[in-house]
Amino acid sequence: MGKGQPSYTDEEFVAAIRDGDDRALAQLYRLHFPMISHYVLQNSGTEDEAKDVYQEGVMVFYEKVREGSLELSCQIKTYLYAVCRRLWLKRLTEKTRFGGRLEDHEPYLETGAEADVALAEERDQRFATMSEALELVGEPCRSLLEGFYLLDKSMQQLTAEFGYTNADNAKNQKYKCLVRLKKLFFAHYKEEESF
Amino acid sequence: MKTEADYYALFEAYRAGGLTAPARADVERRLAADADFAQQFADFTELTTTLHGYGTRLATRRKLHAIQADMDAEQAVRLEGETLETGIPTMPQLYISPVERKLRAFWGAHRATAMVAASVAVMAVFATLLGLEWWRTAQRPSLYGYTVLRREVERIKQTQKAMNRAINQIDGAKPEGELNPGKFSGTGFALTADGYLVTSYHVIQGADSLLIESRDRQRFRAEPVFTDVAHDLAILRIKDRKFNGFGRLPYSFKRGTADLGEKVFTLGYPREDVVFGEGSLSARSGFEGDTAFYQISIPVNPGNSGGPLLDDRGNLIGIISGRQMDMQSAAFATKSSYLMRLVDSLSAAGTAQPYNMPRTSQMTGTSRRQQIRKLQDYVFVVKVYE
Repeated sequence: MGKGQPSYTDEEFVAAIRDGDDRALAQLYRLHFPMISHYVLQNSGTEDEAKDVYQEGVMVFYEKVREGSLELSCQIKTYLYAVCRRLWLKRLTEKTRFGGRLEDHEPYLETGAEADVALAEERDQRFATMSEALELVGEPCRSLLEGFYLLDKSMQQLTAEFGYTNADNAKNQKYKCLVRLKKLFFAHYKEEESF
Repeated sequence: MKTEADYYALFEAYRAGGLTAPARADVERRLAADADFAQQFADFTELTTTLHGYGTRLATRRKLHAIQADMDAEQAVRLEGETLETGIPTMPQLYISPVERKLRAFWGAHRATAMVAASVAVMAVFATLLGLEWWRTAQRPSLYGYTVLRREVERIKQTQKAMNRAINQIDGAKPEGELNPGKFSGTGFALTADGYLVTSYHVIQGADSLLIESRDRQRFRAEPVFTDVAHDLAILRIKDRKFNGFGRLPYSFKRGTADLGEKVFTLGYPREDVVFGEGSLSARSGFEGDTAFYQISIPVNPGNSGGPLLDDRGNLIGIISGRQMDMQSAAFATKSSYLMRLVDSLSAAGTAQPYNMPRTSQMTGTSRRQQIRKLQDYVFVVKVYE
């Protein structure tokens, strides 16, 4: 491979990504993108849709690896193919009533991708609810919570940023915000679950 | 009573491991004993975990977007024509235009059909060519008949002018040896014993000099004495000094009109050798109802023009003139009565010596073979030089 990058085997990829090696992630991403792009384009998709689907697919893989819960029974390539195929099928069904007919060049393998995708969907649902709750919680709670939990800023930083007199005040404010968020989040979450 | 926010501070400290051992034990005890407290702790855990997960997700998404953006940028650079060493395997499918993609998809889907169609087309072309060749071979029974047929087809295809000319040829003229320009030939026969001959006018039309050739290859120079364009007749006279007469003519000339159905025959030179032709008198009028001609059912060919037409008893009843292209064996011959009228008018004018015509036929009552044997010495080739 060019650029003098180290080339990884599948095991090395998994190990490197679990340890948070972004270069390995980038390389993995580049390595398999053409395959998925080709697949989506072949099945009445566009370039942009291919990118979206591929990013979703890599995300599923990445999160599984980071959690350490990935049980890979096949090549990464096959796993990604199965996940992306699943995702694209879903999108096609949403896009058109007559969708769902896919031109498969490879036999569908039992990769465990089905379960992983279902799990990821559930998690997506939860994140979407969280996103909504964050929208609803209002300022300055939203910025405070995002700063602490999403952007990993320290309480000292946030205290300075939001102009609190000391860190304890900021902390108290944060906990109040958290309580409000909790109410909003669980209200939405339960509501959606009841469907 | 503590507020929920206070509990959250406690939970966070507990999770972070920032509590002292007794406080820690206290929290654990309450978690085990108090269901509400445990529920609050579970909610808190779920909330913070989700928040953390959401944060990670967003970070990952940004990371992947960055990678994709990098790739897009590299691809854009490559599309601009610069070759750049990258770690991406080159996949041509990535860079094809939408139009080309559609074409590729179409080709992929219909390749087999297209192949079959192409094969069928090629087969059809060759089958047609072979079939045509075979058909043309089958259509050509002999070279002679084929060329004649072709000549007629070409004539039909010619313009109005050419058609008029063709009708003229049928009506009156039949130039001989068209494939040999400047030199034609026809047939002629003796009119009197002292060197007068009869032929068709169109045979000698436009002639500079005439040559009479007998069956025994004797040649005499001749000159036209009189021509009758309307009835396609010409009278020639041999002007060679060495010529000393034909002898007595075996046939006589009929002044009246012959009957329908009469058996008739002719001798002529459509080839180098003398050719006999036999048939019946089929009509007492000629092409387009011309009453100066008979229609006869003798197959005649170019070169027969000017030949004598005789009946069973050896009377000359006509002079072969032409034929109709689009009818089966329909030939035309000038009636002998018109020849007689012409001779009479010439005699009355008293130009040269009188025409001594035989009154009786020597051929009456003899067999056809004997008639021909007698006749053939009095039938000549008329060669025309322009």
